Formats: sequence, structure tokens, C-alpha cells
Amino acid sequence: MSLLQPVNLQVNAGETLAIVGSSGSGKTTLLSILAGLDLPTTGEVYIKNQPLHQFNEEQRSEVRAKHVGFIFQQFLLINSLTALENVMLPAELANIEDAKEKGVELLKQVGLSDRLEHFPSQLSGGEQQRVAIARAFISQPDILFADEPTGNLDTKTGKYIADLLFDLNTRLGTTLVLVTHDPKLAARCKRQVRMDSGVLTEVVKELKAENDQENSGESHLENQNERNKLELGEGQICPN
Amino acid sequence: MSKLTSSTWFQQSIRLLHHELRKGELTIVFLAIVLAVATVFSLTGFSDQVKQALTTNSVNTLAADRVLKTSTVITDDILAETKRYGFNFAKKVQLKSMVFSTDNMLLTDLDIVTSDYPLRGDLLVSRTSDLQNAISVKSPEVGEVWVDQAVLGRMEINIGDKVDIGVASFTIAGVIVNIPDRSFASVFSNPTIIMNNDDLDKTELIQPGSRISYRYLFSGDNDDLIAFGEWIKPKLNEAQDWIDVKSSQSRIGRTLNTAEKFLSLASMLGIVLAAIAVAVASRRYGQRHKPTVAVFKALGATNKHIQKVYVLHWSLLSVISILTGLAVGYGLLQLGAYGIEKYLSLSSSTLTLRPFTIAVVTGLICAIAFAIHPISKLIATSPIAVIKGFEEKSSSKLNIYQAIPLMALFLLLYIFSNDLVMSASLLFGGIVVSVILLFIGKFLMGLGRTAGTKAGKSLHLAFANLKRRANENSVQLVSFTLAIKLLLLITVMKSSILNEWQLQMPEGTPNHYLINITNDEVPKIAKFAEENNIVTQGFFQVFRGRLSAINGEATIKVDKGSENDDEQSSEGRRGVGRELSLTWQEELSPSTQVVQGQWWDVSDTNPQVSVEESIAEKLDIHLGDQLTFTIGSDEFTVPVTSIRDVNWQSRQLNFYMIFNKATFSDIDSTSLSAWRVAEETKPLMFDFLSQYPSISVIDIDAIMKQLTTMVDQMSIAIELILILVVLAGSLVLIAQVQASMEERERELAILRTLGAKGALLRNSVLFEFVALGAIAGLMASIAMEIAVFFLQTQVFDMKFSLHLEFWLIGITAGAAFVGFIGMLSCWRLLSLSSVTLIRRTM
Repeated sequence: MSLLQPVNLQVNAGETLAIVGSSGSGKTTLLSILAGLDLPTTGEVYIKNQPLHQFNEEQRSEVRAKHVGFIFQQFLLINSLTALENVMLPAELANIEDAKEKGVELLKQVGLSDRLEHFPSQLSGGEQQRVAIARAFISQPDILFADEPTGNLDTKTGKYIADLLFDLNTRLGTTLVLVTHDPKLAARCKRQVRMDSGVLTEVVKELKAENDQENSGESHLENQNERNKLELGEGQICPN
Repeated sequence: MSKLTSSTWFQQSIRLLHHELRKGELTIVFLAIVLAVATVFSLTGFSDQVKQALTTNSVNTLAADRVLKTSTVITDDILAETKRYGFNFAKKVQLKSMVFSTDNMLLTDLDIVTSDYPLRGDLLVSRTSDLQNAISVKSPEVGEVWVDQAVLGRMEINIGDKVDIGVASFTIAGVIVNIPDRSFASVFSNPTIIMNNDDLDKTELIQPGSRISYRYLFSGDNDDLIAFGEWIKPKLNEAQDWIDVKSSQSRIGRTLNTAEKFLSLASMLGIVLAAIAVAVASRRYGQRHKPTVAVFKALGATNKHIQKVYVLHWSLLSVISILTGLAVGYGLLQLGAYGIEKYLSLSSSTLTLRPFTIAVVTGLICAIAFAIHPISKLIATSPIAVIKGFEEKSSSKLNIYQAIPLMALFLLLYIFSNDLVMSASLLFGGIVVSVILLFIGKFLMGLGRTAGTKAGKSLHLAFANLKRRANENSVQLVSFTLAIKLLLLITVMKSSILNEWQLQMPEGTPNHYLINITNDEVPKIAKFAEENNIVTQGFFQVFRGRLSAINGEATIKVDKGSENDDEQSSEGRRGVGRELSLTWQEELSPSTQVVQGQWWDVSDTNPQVSVEESIAEKLDIHLGDQLTFTIGSDEFTVPVTSIRDVNWQSRQLNFYMIFNKATFSDIDSTSLSAWRVAEETKPLMFDFLSQYPSISVIDIDAIMKQLTTMVDQMSIAIELILILVVLAGSLVLIAQVQASMEERERELAILRTLGAKGALLRNSVLFEFVALGAIAGLMASIAMEIAVFFLQTQVFDMKFSLHLEFWLIGITAGAAFVGFIGMLSCWRLLSLSSVTLIRRTM
């Protein structure tokens, strides 16, 4: 069974992209492949010009550790680690120095400076997602994948988390790919693609102007020269 | 309607069991109960058998199950009581008597026995001069006697010759090879002659004032013997002793006692571990099934329905598990029996009902008491959980359900040990020890976490996991700590005490004593020893004498119980009423050191004596005291100029009283020597010594062999039981790991997603278990050292020593073993590809 029809998608540095679509349309599969978590049966995937489809698991791990950040619907924090340690983890995996200072700083930015030593079980859902956001940004990834980041949160908390996400994204100039079926969240991205039964189509944005105002120019300046190329070539993409 | 309902829940229950068994979800519960039942069945059966064998083998040192030792004939009411119980009964009268042949005479120890002697063990006698042809016999025929080889040698007579004892004449019908209850002390006294009790009267040996001791031997049903013992003990006077092999009469007795306690303890540890495994596994089961129950209820199933489904489901599981457990246990039992066949003769190994009953009850208790809490919580799952989720609210309050396992544990211990005090103290002692271990363990895990934060990534993760699962880990920690501790304890005690005691005797430890060597013979014998590389400790002139006065005050008190089969016991019962072996020495023996006063100068011609420390303490002898000794008709008084600390463990020849040469300048005596003779030299030695028939040779090897065998049997039994305990501990660990599997899977998926490499993940899991094992090993080493301290100083009267090399072994072994088992149980998880892992989680 083929989950995805031939897909050709290129995401540029600093771009914000929303993948929308109904449940079971293949959004998450696409995200997994884009992030190097999963492999396409055929086709090519590049992150920062690195051919993920040619890499084995260990090499893809390395790419993820260096270039990729994640935010999940279920937060996916490690329960045995404190909030700060959870945040520090990707930095440590990528051998980044002063992980602790960076972690503290990021937690401060997401408003959790008084929760550094708390364990995930001691935090509310919104707080956990804020930790997850801090964790996603600590290694200053070139690209950030978010899978329904507000899906498990109430509307108010969801909005706060989304604000935080876009705010940090703008300030750090990260490329953002997010999967959601929340049209409001999708609308905050510069670009939207729709997944429908494995077929990907570009959505023409009506609220583009609105979003342009939100995005400051800084990120463009920093990342203009870099291009993240995510490309799925000819052929079908099936699960392994 | 009701029929339909009943068949519905029945079908659902069967279906559930079928699915669960096939999916392997019940494997752990099943294995845990199987393990509990199998462990209990095999342990009980096995330790029963081993205990039986140990007891059978060691009663040989009594020649009976119980002995009543008195200096007078026992009263009729006692005899009547023994008849009432229907014990097997034998009597042994012991006295000293001169024996005469045509040309010679000799002082001997007479053992006059009834026709049923011995009740236990073998009295070995050879009817020819070839001692290899010895056969097991009861008492000699009327008119015949059996004699020690030394009697023939010293009296220059042979089998078939006549000797006169008292006023009667006897034919020598055989040579004694083994007397089952020959005491260690007796090897230093006169040769023995065994005579039939029916001949006693005609010898007219028993006269008023004769020094006689009576040993009444009993064997029979153990409970009856215990009851009889309780009845008779209050009736005994100072000069009477009720002896069983387990009473702390001798070192052998004490060791046996300890061994039995140890076996019971080890077995109980096995049960507790198995119960924990059941508890852990059923808890996981309960949690896994909550969604099912919630959905069932949301769809309209009643509480009663759910109850029926799960109770039947669980009951079926229990029955299957218990039956399997019995089968496995039986197999283990046979395997165990087969394994020690060559070490232990398991007497007919008929299985009693006891292990079977205990095992089934254990299985039921484990399946019910240890699962009732999670199962009842499962049944009580609210249908709203379908919406609200299944957040486990952990309450630390002790409710009735949590108390049930404790009560069940107590019940189990009681059934198993049949000892209320022991069970209670074990349970509460166990709780206290566990809490202490828990505390220390958590502390160490916390410490590790702090250290881990500064160390590598995988170590950091490992310790973070360890600490997060501290509560669960503590259970493993405690069980492994105890298991490792017991293993260490055995290893240490075995090598430091048991081996010191008999196996690892220092080079040249004597295995033969040569007694009664005349002064003329000494040079020739010494020359022979030297030519044949026989290690000797020189020749000691021995004088049998009494300590008759201290500072002019006559010592008349006679110690109760006089004989102890352990010549070297430092709390020695040997009083001053008894003859001592006295000797002179110019140089201090190497195994000895002077603790007070000063060893004499060789040139000092003033008579003086050096006294062994423990006897000096006992008799309140101090430096400078004047001691008067009587040897035959001679009497002399000497001052105490030194007090010696003797290392009896060294098994070198040693004496309580040692004099300087000047003391004995004009007293005639014979000499004693102790030899280490290699096996291949023995025939040569016996051949050579046959020229000197008056010299008696006592073969210590035979006595040592008996001790060695017994100690070996005990350690094998303990080791086998410990293997089972370790297995039980491993299953607890595996159950715990299984219980943490979902969590682990999720964590691995997250780490993978974040870009952690396979090696990092593997290492973090490995380090987690290795650290757990190492902490258990460390705590076990500390606990072992404390236990060894008490054993060495309180029980075995040895000097305390640290065993750091065993710490290393404990920590390494713990780390390696737990690391291995942990990796093994996580292997499936670690070998999953990250794609699969991530897909499963997201």
C-alpha cells in the first residue's frame, strides 16, 4: 500500500511551513520522512544538502542531533530527567558546550525559570510543552519539526504555546515545519501545504499579508544564504 | 437469562486467558508463580533431604540420635519412659582397666556395649590382621572382645589370643578400625577394647568407687526424642548430660546448627523473592488491563461480571502455574539429588507430603495474596477512565490490601519454618533491614546521579533512570544485596573458617600422632622421619599428670560433663580433676606467643611452667602462682613464669602446661610426636613402625575426613540453595524490567528522535543495570563484612579480618550479573530499529 504519492517539496531556510490535512492523510508519515526518522521506500531526502535516504540509522541520528529539533503532540519528555536536564539533552547529544547555561536561559524565555528542577510529572501539560519547546531550540537547530504541538492543550494554553513557538522561531531564525489540522495555527505559517490521501498540494494563502507583518526581517538576514532542501523525488513513498 | 450471563463471563474469561497466554502477557505472572512453587517445592524437598542426610551422617559421631551420659546407672522411671516411646536403645559403659596377656599387661579404655550398639554409624572391625577387610558390626559375641591395633602391638599378641580382663578371660576376635562415637580426646588416651555388656558382670570390674561413665544411646522418631528430651532435661543432675548432635556440645554440633538455620533462611529468602516477583508482575498486569476493564464497563458490564471474568481468569492461571511449578520443582529436586549423589548419600529420598503441601499453599498465597491488591484495583476501575485516562494515583498510605501481602508473607514463613518467633523476627527484621538497605540504596543511587551528571552522557542517563526508578529498583537492590551477601558470606566463611579448620591446613599439619615412644627409640624414629621427608614437630616427652594444687590450695573440683569431643575447644570443659598431658620445651612453638611474663632461658635450671591463656583464665591462674602437679607418686611445685596464647586453629601440637627441661630432669617418660605423612609414605611408615610394637599410631586423617565430608556437604547444600535464590532474584529483576518496559521504550524513542546514537542508548541501559548490580554488590560486601565480624568474633573465636578482595568480587559479580540479566531482558527493546521504536511511540 502506498501512503504517499510522489511528492516534491522544498523548504527554504527560515521558512515556516504548515502541513495540513485530515487524520490519516499521511501528514505524520511525511513529517517522519522529512525529519529522517523514517525512510522513504524510494526517493531522496536532503537536509542541509545531506542525503538522508543514503544514511543508516546512526548517521541519521547524527544529522538529527546537529540540525533538527522536534516538538510533539504528546510532549515526549523523559520522565527521569528534570525540566532543565530534558532541555539540555539535545545539546549534550550534539556535544554543545555550556548546555546548562543555554538551558537555563531558554527555560527563562519560556517562563519556567522557577521550574528548573521539576520533573515532568510535576508539571502541567502547558508547562511540559514549554519545556519541550525549550528543548527543541537549545541546539539551535536549522529546522524544527512540530507534530500537532498544541493538539493536547486547551485553546488558551494552545495559543500561548503557539505564540512562544513562533516568537522563538522568529528570534532564532529557525526553519519551521509543522503538522496540524488546526487552521488557525496553520495560518500563522508563511506557507501551507495540504495532504490529502497521500497527495500534497500547495495552499494559496489568503492571510499571507497578516503573517508577513509578524515575521521580522532578522531571520531572513541570518539565514538567507542557507537553503534547506527537502526533496522527495519520483516514485512512491511507502512505510517500511 | 442467568444461564446466558454465566456462560458469557465464562467464555470471556477463557477467551481472555487464551489470548493473554498466547500474547505472552501472562508469561511473567505465570513464571513467577511457577518459580515460587518450584522453588519452594524443590527447596523444601531438597533441604529436607539434605538435612536428613546431614543429620544421619553426623549422628554417627554420637552412634545414636541422642545420648544420655551419666556417671551412675539411670533410674527405672527413665527406662520406663523410654520403653513407652519405643525408642531403639543401647548402652555403653566406659571404664579404664588393666588387661593381661601371658607376658604383658596394659591399661586400656574398656567400652562395654549392649548388642544393639551402635544405633547409628558404623562400628568397623577387621577379623584378620589386614585392616582393609573391615566390616560393619554390632557388639562382639559373649566371651569375645575387639581391640585397637595398639593393644596387639603393645601386648605382643594376635587375633585369636586370649586376654584377661578383671577376673574373666576373653578371645580377641577382631581389630577395631572405626568406633562411630570415638571422641577426639580419646585418641590421646589409652587403647580401646570393646566387650559385650553381658560379660560385664563376670569380670567383676565394677566395684564401689570405680570411675565409670554410662552412655545411654537412643534412636527413634525425632518428635518423640524431642519430647523425651524435654521430659528428661529437668531431671538431670550436674553429672548428667542429654546430648543430641545439634546441641551446642561440640564445635561440630554448633556448625551443624548454624548450617540448618542457614538452609532455612536461604530457603525463606527464595520464597520472599518469588512472592515479590508475583507482586511485581501482577501489578503490571493490573495496570495493563485497566483500559480493557474501563471499556467493558463503559459498554455496560457490571462489576459482578468483571469480577467473575477476572477471578476465573486468575484462578485458571494459578492452577496451571501451580501444576507446572510442581512439575518443574520435582525435576529440580531430582536434578539436585542427582547432583550431590556423589557427595551425600540421600537416604532413600522418599518424598514426604510436606514439600508438596507447602508448595501448593505457597502458590495459592502468591497467586492470591500478592495479586489481590492490583486485581481488586483493576476490577474497581471506573468507566470514566475511558475519558479521563488512567493516571495512577499513588497513595503512600498503608491500606488493608497492602497489609495482606505482609500477612501472607508471615503465614508463608510460618508454614515454612514452623517457628513463630523465627518467622516474626525474620519478617520484622527483614522489614527493618530492607528499609535500611532501601535508604542506603536510594542514597547511593542519588549519589550516583550527582556524579553521573558530571560524567558521560550514557552514565548520566543511566543514573537518572536508576534514580527515577529508585522505588522499583530498591526491591531489586535489596534482593540482590541479600543474595550477593549470602554468597559472599559463604565464600568468605568457607575459605576463612571451614578451610582453616580442616582443608587448608598449613604445610606440615600433622595427620598422625605417634605415642609412647621410649627415649631409646626416639633417635631411630627421628632418623626415619628425616630420611623419608616426613614433617615432624619434634618429639615431646609426655607426662600424664594432675594439677593438684594452686598456691597450695588443692584443686578438687571436677568439671561437669568432663568429656568434650573437641580437645582444643578454648572454653574447654576439661577441669583440673582430669589428667593433663604435660611436657617440657626449650623453645617456644611458632604457633604460640607469650602474652604475660617471659619464656625461660634454656640455661635456666629453676623449674617453672608456662600456662595456656584460656585455661589460666578459667582456673584463675596468674603470673607467679605456685602450681603443684602430681605424676604417679611424684609431686612437685613450680612457679608460673609465663602465660601463652596458643593458636589452636593451627593444629600444631600444643599443651596447656609446658615446663622447662629442668622440671622433669629425673622423671621417666615416653615421647609423643606429630607427623605429617604423605599418602604414599604411609605403608612405608607402618612397615617401619611394626618393629616398635609399643608405639601407637593414631591416624588423624580418618577423623579429619569425617569433618571434611560434613563441612563439604553443608557448603554444597548451601550453594545449591543459593543458586535457586539467585534465580529467584533474577526473575524479580526481569519482572521489574518488564514492568518498566513501556516507559523504557518511550524514553528510547525520544532519545532516538533527538539524535542519540545506538551505542549511547545501549550504554545507558547497560550502565543502569551495572550500577544497580555494583551498588547491590557494595551493600552486600558491607553487610557481609558485618556478618563475618560477628561470626568470627562471637561464634568461631577467631581474629576479625577484613576481606577487601571479596568486596571486589561482590561488586564485580553483582555488576556483571545484574548487568547481564538487565541487558538480556532489554535486548528485544534495544534491538528494535529506531523507526519501529518511534512509530510505536508516536
